[in-house]
Amino acid sequence: MKTIFPILLLFFSSISYSQTTITGTVTDENSQPIPGANIIVIGTSTGTVTDFDGSFTLKVNLNPPFTLQASSVGFETVKQQVTTSNSQTFNFILKEGTSLDEVVISASRTPERVFESPVTVERIGLKEIKSTASADFYDGLESLKGVDINTNSLTFKSVNTRGFATFANTRFMQRVDGMDNAAPTLNFPLGNLLGMVETDVQSIELLPGAASALYGANAFNGILFMQSKNPFDYPGISAYYKQGITSQEAAGDNDYIDYGFRAAHKFSNKFAAKVNFSYLRGTDWVANDTRGKNRDNTFIEPNSTRENDIDYDGVNVYGDLASTNLRVVKANPDFLAQLPNPALANLVPDVNVSRTGYDEADLTDYNAKSIKADWGLFFRPWENDFEIQYVGKIGSGSTIYQGSNRYSIKNFFLQQHKLEIKNDNFFVRGYLTADNAGDSYDMVFTGVNVNRQWKSDNQWFGEYAGAFIQGTLAGLNADQAHASARAAADTGRLEPGTPEFQAAFNKVISDPDILTGSQLKSESKIYHADGNYNFSHLTDFAEIQAGGSFRQYVLNSGGSIYTDRLGEIKYSEVGYYTQFQKKFLEDDRLKVTASIRYDKSELFDAFFSPRISLGYNIGEDENHNVRASFQTGFRNPDTQALYIGLNVGPIILLGGAPDNPERDIRTATGNDLSPTGQAILGTSSYTYNGSGAFNNSFSRSSVAAFAASQNPADLQIANPGLIKPEQVSSFEVGYRGKVNSFTIDFSTYYNQYKDFIATVDVINPFYGDVQLTQTFPGNGLPLAVIALANEDFQAYRAYTNSTADVSSYGAAMGVNTKIFGNYDLGVNYTYAKLDFDRKANPNTQTNFNTPEHKVKASFGNTDLFENFGFNVAWRWSDNYVWEASFATGEVPAYQVFDAQINLRVPSLKSTFKAGASNLLGDEYFTAVGTGRIGSMYYLSWTINNL
Amino acid sequence: MKTFYKHILALLSIAIIFSCENENVKDFRDINSIEVLPELTSGSVDFSNYVALGASFTAGYTDGALFMAAQENSFPNILSKEFAKLGSGAFTQPLMNDNIGGLAVGGNRIAQPRLVFGGAGPVPLESLIGPVTVTTDIALNNPTGPFNNLGVPGAKSYHLLANGYGNLANLSAGLANPYFVRMTGATPDASMLELAMAQNPTFFTLSEIGGNDVLGYATSGGDGSSSITATATFDFAFSTLVTTLTSGGAKGAVTNVPYITDLPHFTTVPYAPLSPANPSFGPLIPTLNGVFGQLNLVYAYLQSVSAISNAAERSIVFSTTAASAVVIKDETLTDISAQIAGVLNASPTFPAFVQSFGLPVQAAPLVANLLGTIYGQTRQATADDLLVLPSRSIIGTVNTAMYAYLVGQGLPANLAGQFSVEGVTNPLADKWVLLPSEQAEIKNATDAYNATIANIAASNGLALVDLNTILTQATTTGLQSGNFTFTTDLVTGGLVGLDGIHLTARGYAVMANEFLKAIDATYSSNFEASGNVAKAGDYPTNYSPTLQ
Repeated sequence: MKTIFPILLLFFSSISYSQTTITGTVTDENSQPIPGANIIVIGTSTGTVTDFDGSFTLKVNLNPPFTLQASSVGFETVKQQVTTSNSQTFNFILKEGTSLDEVVISASRTPERVFESPVTVERIGLKEIKSTASADFYDGLESLKGVDINTNSLTFKSVNTRGFATFANTRFMQRVDGMDNAAPTLNFPLGNLLGMVETDVQSIELLPGAASALYGANAFNGILFMQSKNPFDYPGISAYYKQGITSQEAAGDNDYIDYGFRAAHKFSNKFAAKVNFSYLRGTDWVANDTRGKNRDNTFIEPNSTRENDIDYDGVNVYGDLASTNLRVVKANPDFLAQLPNPALANLVPDVNVSRTGYDEADLTDYNAKSIKADWGLFFRPWENDFEIQYVGKIGSGSTIYQGSNRYSIKNFFLQQHKLEIKNDNFFVRGYLTADNAGDSYDMVFTGVNVNRQWKSDNQWFGEYAGAFIQGTLAGLNADQAHASARAAADTGRLEPGTPEFQAAFNKVISDPDILTGSQLKSESKIYHADGNYNFSHLTDFAEIQAGGSFRQYVLNSGGSIYTDRLGEIKYSEVGYYTQFQKKFLEDDRLKVTASIRYDKSELFDAFFSPRISLGYNIGEDENHNVRASFQTGFRNPDTQALYIGLNVGPIILLGGAPDNPERDIRTATGNDLSPTGQAILGTSSYTYNGSGAFNNSFSRSSVAAFAASQNPADLQIANPGLIKPEQVSSFEVGYRGKVNSFTIDFSTYYNQYKDFIATVDVINPFYGDVQLTQTFPGNGLPLAVIALANEDFQAYRAYTNSTADVSSYGAAMGVNTKIFGNYDLGVNYTYAKLDFDRKANPNTQTNFNTPEHKVKASFGNTDLFENFGFNVAWRWSDNYVWEASFATGEVPAYQVFDAQINLRVPSLKSTFKAGASNLLGDEYFTAVGTGRIGSMYYLSWTINNL
Repeated sequence: MKTFYKHILALLSIAIIFSCENENVKDFRDINSIEVLPELTSGSVDFSNYVALGASFTAGYTDGALFMAAQENSFPNILSKEFAKLGSGAFTQPLMNDNIGGLAVGGNRIAQPRLVFGGAGPVPLESLIGPVTVTTDIALNNPTGPFNNLGVPGAKSYHLLANGYGNLANLSAGLANPYFVRMTGATPDASMLELAMAQNPTFFTLSEIGGNDVLGYATSGGDGSSSITATATFDFAFSTLVTTLTSGGAKGAVTNVPYITDLPHFTTVPYAPLSPANPSFGPLIPTLNGVFGQLNLVYAYLQSVSAISNAAERSIVFSTTAASAVVIKDETLTDISAQIAGVLNASPTFPAFVQSFGLPVQAAPLVANLLGTIYGQTRQATADDLLVLPSRSIIGTVNTAMYAYLVGQGLPANLAGQFSVEGVTNPLADKWVLLPSEQAEIKNATDAYNATIANIAASNGLALVDLNTILTQATTTGLQSGNFTFTTDLVTGGLVGLDGIHLTARGYAVMANEFLKAIDATYSSNFEASGNVAKAGDYPTNYSPTLQ
């Protein structure tokens, strides 16, 4: 029947032609107009959308009778029959539905109600965007259950679900109109910096958990879909203007503006186009955490300060990364030659000393800027669902990104271009994403190299040791002598604010050589193509889809991030999938979805990832739905895990692709190679590549143990394996239901990881095998032990697969209802737990970085009085450990209140909103090392946003 | 409605309950926290009343003097800070009156202020900051006891038992020690041991007993002005001390005696310091070799006629290319003054040689006698000889006594001056040099003392701090403590102060830690394991000249 009916209609319309004009309004039960509601003629693609006043006009080339359907997200759909061909008026009154009635596409790549989607899915529509208490819609995602937003900076937020969150969140995918939003260089999305302009957002869907079966590698922890408004459906001009202040103790009160517009025009039923633009300018959260951190494991050491720790490495203090053991200085003939009596060097202790750093605030202006624009040309040659579109997007601006170090991302430029052909049953699209790091620089190395511009490390440490001796002879104890040595070595250092400092700073940030500069250079690209065909219109038996994708990465950082000093790195991935969905039993209560995906990366063996899920509706009214699914996911190592070769100072980050270690070529010379090492190696300049990290290395923790005990038996061979894809097996059970006025959505999952991609810290001695069979002739000491004792080694943070058992589990539950009449109240709770023996695997960083408990609640009323609404959102996060290569420490529990009030002025087609985020002003942070998040207060004016 | 609130309450309470046992955070804290050290325990010792008995190390003597800052950093005082954590009482020291050092009696200075670092080596304080007044006057401002620190610089083993050793009246006769005079108070004739016992100590340290019994001999170059205490005398004194101190059940720690000849006082001045590059020495080498050439012929002759065996080994030659050894008097050599004079007087060429110095030919017998007198027991020093630290400042200078003597013998002033240069023309006297035989005496005495100390310590169950091994280690491989490497080099070694014998404050901290280790080993306390030890870096190696 389903397939026959449209064919019949087509047949009728070809023999008979007439036009019916219908006008009308769509309102809710309170007679409030519903803008943006869909009006369609059932069984056809004819339809329109209500305007700001909820009015619509529709011309139908059909003879009555036919049926009109009015629907809007969040409302129950209403149908009315059209019986005469006279122009007539229809008024639809929509009853507010629940969130479970909303339609999502992402969960099965086909439209279905949230209520019966086979896996957990979250949705944000126009209504939620309008009522969010957050400063913008992207921040508003935070209110969803199961969602964690980690804040890099004012404009760069990282969305994550189900744990394992880093700012380099390669486990989480973000798609805008079908395009993967990740920056090619980084392989993860930069928040909403290349995202969507608020007035162009139609809906946002979020799938927590693995979705590789449909979306391929990287859709591993979750995937976020943003859908923009099609200019055919949403023509017109809309705009917003937002102004306010950000308020933070460290940065003070700063202005903040954000504006944007959308212009869409339907030139004909065949052609439409749109343009979006937005601009944001503000001041970033100032990061001023001066606590020290452990150089080996990046753990925060709260009691370490510049004053009491000679080897201080402040979290947001840069330049103190340069650290040396004074033993090295004492062995330097140049240093000894400057002493009146070389034996005086004996008064210098064998301790590590760091140079004096600069505060982060001295190394960045904290200007936050985001400029986004996109445009699209949409062509429907046959005026039906067949559409050809070209979409272009650019994003530029300045922000701060916290990865291995803290980076000032200045004038970055991202662009995407997509060509897509689709109809209701298929799509084929190809797109290109390209990035350019612009004037971005590494703030840590800026500090290090501004210091070096002024005075070389050799000179500084030599002066330090010399002054230490002088102080000791003058009668100072060690602490006093260290203080006077630092003061002496720092005499005349470049002071921020002086022209000399600025000159050195400018020179450093425009020099990509890590030894002298800090500029980040990258112009990388991703080429992607994918297609999908839905066979459901061809067969009644089941809904069957199939699709595939191809992707090629082109990395080009000129050696500043990747091991591509000698040329671009290219590699590609291809994948195919199919999905089968069928309903069984009476009333189609049981829905079975099965899918399987095949993926093959050029670098790795092929993978199959299956998914099967069952959904069952219970109850007479089918008000309860239980679902269960099992799925496997996998992720190919991201570009960094494959090809990074980045010296961050104490350690080199090294990707684990088969051909990567050999590409990372370094030279040890000068102070990096001891006289003993020079004698053993027979050279004063030793060139090595990264292969030693994988085939001749000790674990870093065992070397630390050895340093303390001096017992070679404490050394453990690391020799991690080259990297391969990570797999997850995920079990999920969920329930959705309507109980009286409550809607409940609950899910729980268990994820078991295999070949968990992790980093491991290893030490590669410059000479001697780690099996300790090679010994020094004469004394029989293992060469590798001699290398460790003389600090002739390279530390690597190597990307590999952990053999440790890593699993995680969690649950999320949300309850929504109306109380006191028409007040909306929602509460949700998220539980996330890592099951990993950290103590037994001290060298493995899992970066779970997620609180065990999170509670969120929101309370609001869209119509408290006529045209006046408000919303208050509260969330509480348990404390947790933030584990990352930049800094590792505890994130204390926090609670945040956001609130907004809004006033609609229909005569101006406007909505005015006054809002505040973090209303209580208790500053908090979601990751160690970032600025503390203060409060934002804003007023906004949105015009004509349906 | 009610059910809804129940839901919220349930959710919140779950959250709150779980937040108390957040395993990830807890694991992280466990891994991140510094290894928790065990709590300090005293083992079998009652540290409530600690008395330190000893000599200069116990007193905190440093840089050639005793002064307040140094006393604060004495090893007993450092130990007392650790003992205080176990509830020991106040630790009273007989603090000096200033940070200048030195002593006076009724306004007359009897001990010099401390040494300070002068840029290259030790110099007297007053050479840098001008004249000072020594304000610690044992006739005027003695502190009031009783004192827990009974360290008396200069005390030998038997002095600790001696009555009257702290009586001012005995000072002029040399029978009292001015530092002890400051401590005796109302009981001027009490012995050091009696003052200790009067306090009923529960714990004692008996340190460096035996040190001064060999040190006086060593610093005087074994010239006879201070003798090595006989082993029997030492044995009696030491056993009496231990028996008495332990009579009330007190526990204690004792030290043995290091080989003091390893101290920089004896190792700093090289045996061959005479550099041809020195402008006041180098140009004279040909002349000197001419003069000593005559003498060397005599030695060779005497050996050839078998009159004196190995006489040729006494030959004196100064190198024009390398540093030369000083000329020393070796009293163990046969005195051949008469033979030298005889051979020279018999030499037909000697009168002409004498004339070449502008002397009349009649002076030849006088010169022959003088040469015989001066060089009858001399040789150039070897690596086996040790020169004491003060010799550094006299080598190469004119010995005024010799000058006066030569002038009195009729030599012209310029010649007398040329023949009075210390270590060159005037052999270094016995007091400047520790000959190998003298070193052997010191070592034998030290070994004998240490055997006694080890026996008595073992039989009384006392902790023994093996200073002998520790100093040897510092001398050979260096001693590691608190990231510092300690050696026995003067100034640069960090361990021994500017007088070359006593420790720096940092050295005393290391010494205190050695005590704690020994106490832990003997009495099952856990100072070291619990981290309750001194941090060497907290203590300086030098005291500023401006510290008053």
